Amino acid sequence: MENKNLHNTENHKEHHISSYKDHFSTLLALLLLTVVTVVVSVFGADLRSLSVATALLIATVKVVVVAYYFMHLKYDMKLYTWLVVLVAVLFVAFTALTSIEYFNR
Amino acid sequence: MEHASGFVLPNSGHNRDAEASKMGMWLFLFTELLLFGGLFIVYMVYRMINHEAFLLSSFELDVTMGTINTVVLLVSSMTIAMSITAIQKGNIKLSVNLLYATLAAAIIFMVIKYFEWSSKIHHGLFPGMDYYESLPKGEGLFFYLYFFMTGLHALHIIIGAVIIGVVIYRTKKGLVTSEKYTLTENAGLYWHLVDLIWIYLFPLFYLIH
Repeated sequence: MENKNLHNTENHKEHHISSYKDHFSTLLALLLLTVVTVVVSVFGADLRSLSVATALLIATVKVVVVAYYFMHLKYDMKLYTWLVVLVAVLFVAFTALTSIEYFNR
Repeated sequence: MEHASGFVLPNSGHNRDAEASKMGMWLFLFTELLLFGGLFIVYMVYRMINHEAFLLSSFELDVTMGTINTVVLLVSSMTIAMSITAIQKGNIKLSVNLLYATLAAAIIFMVIKYFEWSSKIHHGLFPGMDYYESLPKGEGLFFYLYFFMTGLHALHIIIGAVIIGVVIYRTKKGLVTSEKYTLTENAGLYWHLVDLIWIYLFPLFYLIH
C-alpha cells in the first residue's frame, strides 16, 4: 500500500497541467504568425523567392509552437522530443537527397 | 471481469499504462507525418519542374477561405488542449463543452472546404473534367496535388471529428476522469497533427506566389 501511494504521488508530479491562460497565449502567438505569413505573401509578392523561404520558415515556427506547447513536448519525457527530432531529420534528409537528384539532371 | 477467486491474469486489461498508450499514439503520428512527407516531396519535385505553372495556378485558390480555415483549426487546437486541462482539473462539463467546440470547428472547416471544392469543380478543375484535361501539364499537376493532398487532409479531419465524438461519448459515460484521461490526450495529439499538416498545406498551396 505504501509503495502504491508513493508511486501515485510520483505520477502526479510528472503530469504538468497547462493553464487555460497559457493555451490562450499560445493561440495568440499562432494567430500572429498566421497574420505575418499572409501579409508577407499577399503584399510581398514581388519578393518571390524570399516569400517562399519566409512562408516555410514561419510555418515551421508555428509547427514547433504547436508541438512544444499544445502537444505537450515541453513537459513530457525528453524521449518524445528526440523522436520528433529524429523524424524531422529523416524527412529533411529525404527531401535534400531528392532535391540533389533533381538539380543534377 | 470479476473472478471468483479474485485472481487476475497479468496483462488481462486490468492494468493501464498511460505512458505506453501515449508512446503508441506518437509512433502512429510519425507514420502519418511520413505519409504526408512523401506527398510534400512529390509536390516539391513537380514544383521545381513546373515553377511557372504552379505559380499561375496558386492564384486560382481563395486565400481568404484558406486563411479562415487556418484560424478555425488553430482555435480548435486550443479548445482541445484546454479540454485536456479541464479533465485534468476534474471539470468534466467544461471538458465536454470544449470538445463540442472542437467538433464544431471541424464541421466549420469541412463546410468551408465544401464551398471551396465546389467552386473549383464548378470551374471544371477536378481531375478528369473537360477543362482540367485541357490545362497545360504543369497546371494539371498543381490541381491534382491540390485535390489529393487537401482531400487526404480533409479525410483526417473527418476521422478526427469521429474520434472527438467518441471521446465526448465516453467522457459523458464517466469512462474518462481526472485520473484516467489518456483517451482525451491521444485524441488531442491526433487533432494537433491534423492542424500541423494544414499549417504546411496552407502556405504551400495558397500563399507561395
